[in-house]
Amino acid sequence: MTFREQVRTWLAAHLVGEFAPLVGTGGPGREHEHVGLRTAWEQELGRGGWIGLGWPTEVGGRGASIEDQVAFHEEYAQAGGPARIGHIGEQLAGPTLIAFGSQEQQDRFLPGILAGTELWCQGYSEPGAGSDLAAVRTRAVLQDDGWHVTGQKVWTSLAHLADWCFVIARTEDGSERHRGLSFLLVPMDQPGIEVRPIVQLTGTSEFNEVFFDDALTGADNVVGARGDGWRVAMGLLAFERGISTLGQQVGFTREYDEVLELARRNGTFPDFEDQLVDAWAGLQVLKHQALRTLDSDAAASTGVEANVNKLLWAPWHQQLGELAMAVAGPAALLVDRELTPLQNLFLFTRSDTIYGGSNEVQRNVIAERRWKLPRDRP
Amino acid sequence: MSDLDDLRAATRAFLSAQVSVRSQLHDDPALWKRLTTELGLMSLPAEGVPFAWACAVLEETGRVLLRAPYLSSVVAATALQQLGDTPHLAGLADGSVTAALALDGRLDQVVDAAGASLLLLADGDDLTVVEDFTATPLEPLDPTRPQARVEARPGRVIGTAHHARDLLHVALAAESVGAAQRVLELTVEHLLVREQFGRPLGSFQALRHRIADLTVAVEAATSSAWYAARATDDLPVAAPLAKAVAADAFVQVAGDSIQLHGGIGFTWEHNAHLYFKRAWTTALMHGDSRSLRRLAFQRAGR
Repeated sequence: MTFREQVRTWLAAHLVGEFAPLVGTGGPGREHEHVGLRTAWEQELGRGGWIGLGWPTEVGGRGASIEDQVAFHEEYAQAGGPARIGHIGEQLAGPTLIAFGSQEQQDRFLPGILAGTELWCQGYSEPGAGSDLAAVRTRAVLQDDGWHVTGQKVWTSLAHLADWCFVIARTEDGSERHRGLSFLLVPMDQPGIEVRPIVQLTGTSEFNEVFFDDALTGADNVVGARGDGWRVAMGLLAFERGISTLGQQVGFTREYDEVLELARRNGTFPDFEDQLVDAWAGLQVLKHQALRTLDSDAAASTGVEANVNKLLWAPWHQQLGELAMAVAGPAALLVDRELTPLQNLFLFTRSDTIYGGSNEVQRNVIAERRWKLPRDRP
Repeated sequence: MSDLDDLRAATRAFLSAQVSVRSQLHDDPALWKRLTTELGLMSLPAEGVPFAWACAVLEETGRVLLRAPYLSSVVAATALQQLGDTPHLAGLADGSVTAALALDGRLDQVVDAAGASLLLLADGDDLTVVEDFTATPLEPLDPTRPQARVEARPGRVIGTAHHARDLLHVALAAESVGAAQRVLELTVEHLLVREQFGRPLGSFQALRHRIADLTVAVEAATSSAWYAARATDDLPVAAPLAKAVAADAFVQVAGDSIQLHGGIGFTWEHNAHLYFKRAWTTALMHGDSRSLRRLAFQRAGR
């Protein structure tokens, strides 16, 4: 049985029964759905050995090829697997620990991610540090009983569910900008941490602000050298090659099909034919881009693949949301108890071009890293 | 390094040493002879290597806006090879025979027809080989891509035209990608050295962001051309799409290149206009982008 068939067979056997309600749930605008059951599902995935597919076998991963990882994401999306509640641990915290963590840290934290029993959130952005991450003001001071963390983080996805948070904090007195920051691992369940939901323009909430008021974590919970957190935080970006992209595109295709079908059903197809054809073409290009990026025989890496991918898919997705509204017409302006999937698509895609590095930041990265164009400020 | 990388590197090394964009304003029979004998670039179809190899060469010829009947001839040789139509294969392989393509059935503007001894002509859905034709050179807006008006006697039907047209679209996509990459590089080089207000133009965010957007367009086009060059069952969908995406990207980057070069980009002396004219030649011939996207959409059964 090929790897892809193994994935398909396992999903067909496990995404049923108690987990059947999860099919097609979660994701942007819908992260509140079936939270408890999705946590159980994460553990089911862990028991099946489907977490950490790309991680090296030495740390408990499967060491799967890129091709197999792509197959997993495609099959998972095809089967309507729910949005992962452990993805921040699997895709961000875990790889960071594998690259920069101590043996003790890996032994302590990786098993919980692989088993789906410990969930993570990411403490990067702050009210005064969005695109300019080096402006973080959260401080951590090392005392006899460990690190004392004080500050505020925002846009912290899944913070209300997470067991741990990786936090960028300033630890070195008198340091500035990207020097003197440390990458700390902080337990969420403690009196010094308060999580408040942020209500988004959809009226729902899946991001949070997190207040650290003398929160405590162990002295050994710093990843990499003390004061060298910027390198750890940025190092992760270099590993990102967009393996989940093709799985994401299965979802995009489903959304596109829904818009196309609506246009055919409500008679607006002739009016929007050019846009619908262009959106379809754009989706094919996303696929071509992902396949070429992941193909080891294709031309040498430019180092900005992730940035190019983001600038391709985020505006594409946003425009699909706008097209969905145009196709639906004025009826799309009315809300019947809760948002329809297309209204959700329309509103939520405004965030696609902001989170994970705004489009403007992505452009700067391409200009600097790919072309060595000088910065406009020292 | 794969063999394909070797071919690409050897072609680039030869072209960068022997060819300047400015020299592409005139025919150069000696250059064609060296390309086909020393480099053996026309023997690829006969060697049975994937079409992706010819496409890799076309990316390189695109970079220098090569004025030679390579694209037409290698597409013709590939189509004839795949159809098992042998009479001209040896001549095409050694470069002694060149071909022109009229795969949309139009004879009023045929690229590379003057000097060609062979014409692949679409007659409705049929693909015909014509040996008896005359070509009258025209004055093209794009001086690197000669055109001629053709009068042709009916030819021999050898298959259906749509597959040859797919190959042509993939070839044009590859060539456009190479040219677009090159003109983007030239533009960045300009922004790095040209200073105004006491600093390099490339430090102004308005220009940096335009370069980033062009990079995204060129990368996307590169991916679609890469995919189409390797497509098999999917070729009828991938080929017209790749041509549309690549031609659009080429048009965008070549147009912006003139803008980003400022006044110098508007001069005859600068090469920017040659890329710009080639981009539009590619976009307007062999199917416009909107029709090609629609064709791909329909062929995909959407």
